[in-house]
Amino acid sequence: MRGASAARGVAFFGLLACLPAFNLAHWVLNMLVFTLMYAVMSSAWNLVGGFAGYPSLGHAAFFGLGAYAVALWFQHHSIHSGYEPFWMLPLVGLLGAAVGLPIAAIAMRTRADVFAIVTITLLFVAQTLAFNLRSITEGAQGLAIGPAPFAVRTFERPFYYVLLGLLAVTMGLTFASMRSKIGLSLASVRGDEDKARGIGVRVTGVKLLAFSVSVGLTAMVGGIWAYYEGFIYPQFAIDPLITIAIVLMTFLGGRATLWGPILGALVLEIAQQWFAYSFGGSKFYLIAYALVFLVVMLLLPRGIVPSIEDWMRRRRRRQSVDAVEPTLAASRSLAKGSV
Amino acid sequence: MASLLDVDGLVKVFGAVRAVDGASFAVEANTITALIGPNGSGKTTLFNVITGYLRPDHGRVRFADRDVTGHDAGKLYRRGLSRTFQQARVFPQLSVQENLVVAGGYDWRQLFGRRISRADRERAGHLLDEFRLAGVADLLAAELSYGQRKLLEFAAVLMSEPRLVLLDEPTAGVNPVLIETMERHIRERHAAGITFLIVEHDMSFVMRLCDPVIVLDRGRQIFAGPPSEVQTNPLVLDAYLGA
Repeated sequence: MRGASAARGVAFFGLLACLPAFNLAHWVLNMLVFTLMYAVMSSAWNLVGGFAGYPSLGHAAFFGLGAYAVALWFQHHSIHSGYEPFWMLPLVGLLGAAVGLPIAAIAMRTRADVFAIVTITLLFVAQTLAFNLRSITEGAQGLAIGPAPFAVRTFERPFYYVLLGLLAVTMGLTFASMRSKIGLSLASVRGDEDKARGIGVRVTGVKLLAFSVSVGLTAMVGGIWAYYEGFIYPQFAIDPLITIAIVLMTFLGGRATLWGPILGALVLEIAQQWFAYSFGGSKFYLIAYALVFLVVMLLLPRGIVPSIEDWMRRRRRRQSVDAVEPTLAASRSLAKGSV
Repeated sequence: MASLLDVDGLVKVFGAVRAVDGASFAVEANTITALIGPNGSGKTTLFNVITGYLRPDHGRVRFADRDVTGHDAGKLYRRGLSRTFQQARVFPQLSVQENLVVAGGYDWRQLFGRRISRADRERAGHLLDEFRLAGVADLLAAELSYGQRKLLEFAAVLMSEPRLVLLDEPTAGVNPVLIETMERHIRERHAAGITFLIVEHDMSFVMRLCDPVIVLDRGRQIFAGPPSEVQTNPLVLDAYLGA
């Protein structure tokens, strides 16, 4: 079992690491960069929204925080080498986590739908600040970092590999938490928080930990995005659509699973880009995008990965029953044949 | 020596309703004490206040010679005061074994340890055997019958090696065979040194198992004594039958 999951991880990351070597077109690589961004963010969101069961709608605020942190730093410092901004990322992550901690301490006193509303309010507060704190953020004018000094032919590669590394870190953290008592504690919080508190689970601690780590990772993606784009505007840096996308992706793939958010990001981001490409400038692609989501939710309401796991679980059990009771299995197939 | 649990003048008000209204009683160590009373007499609210799920408006709770009024439920649990709920509360998406392990009352450093360590497996294994849940250890709790869930919830609170266990209607909604099983488990654990405080409506269960019996009416104690005297006490009859 452990061998299989390790093999899956190696195959997945090995394949993704080879992709840029195939001389893909720029638009494909650009799409892959965005897919990886969303994969990291969905996977990070899953720690709070999936494992802890706290549906945060405020994660885009931390994406914006990371983006502005990087952009502001390079207003006052020049970039000496193309890789320099990437070395800042751990600091950006720590900043996001540090800002997230007190916010979580307050917001996580509420639950479920109220928590969702509190966190989406946070998102709009952050956006309003970005628009109006002109002395710092330049308001609607936005901030320019300048294009990253990479060769045009392989421009996307550094971003792609940094994001791939960050995805490995995020999935590694997720996997480690699932294998530890942190994951067990988070599952009990998701199941029945009051009961969990009453049996001595460190409810507040694990909730705050999950939230900080989650928004720290999200801020790091924001930092990469700002550098990739070369300029940021408040309406794109702190965008409710980002929040909605990562929530949808995680729901689609399956909450509280290791691979669900990654699968959701692959399906939805590629579908969205493809629809946008084939329907051109019209907004029809948004309708197609919604349709994909509706169909999947209708057929697999708990998301893709949990539905498949359920199906395999049932199949395994049926097989084990058949193995134990061959006569029963034989009579069942006989009965089937006679109908 | 003081009692294991001392409740003194406890009051809990919800709006205009005084759910607990100056309740005072004591639970002596190594007893199986029953807490009975008509519907709405404040038994469950009292449980919630004692175990830290609700803060009292007045009064004190002392547990093991320490004032624990208004303490957090998790802290009390780790100190050895645990409870079950009227409607069994287990974690449906966790396995039976995980439901036991999660109740182990871990400190900070253990959080980073394995989800189920060998020591956990051993500890949970004893309880699984004792409660005859070993065969379903790997099933999700959601797949258990209601009676099995009640057993599981009971077994789980024993993971922390409590001194006092509060059971809220342990026999409600379970079949007669399981009631006997429940009774046996309580007796065994009592013999091993655990004190029980039990809210229960099944009077024959109470009469067989508990001594003393405390009777609550309108949020305060009206009787405390051996079970043989409960049925003849005029105040109790009055409370149950109405004057």
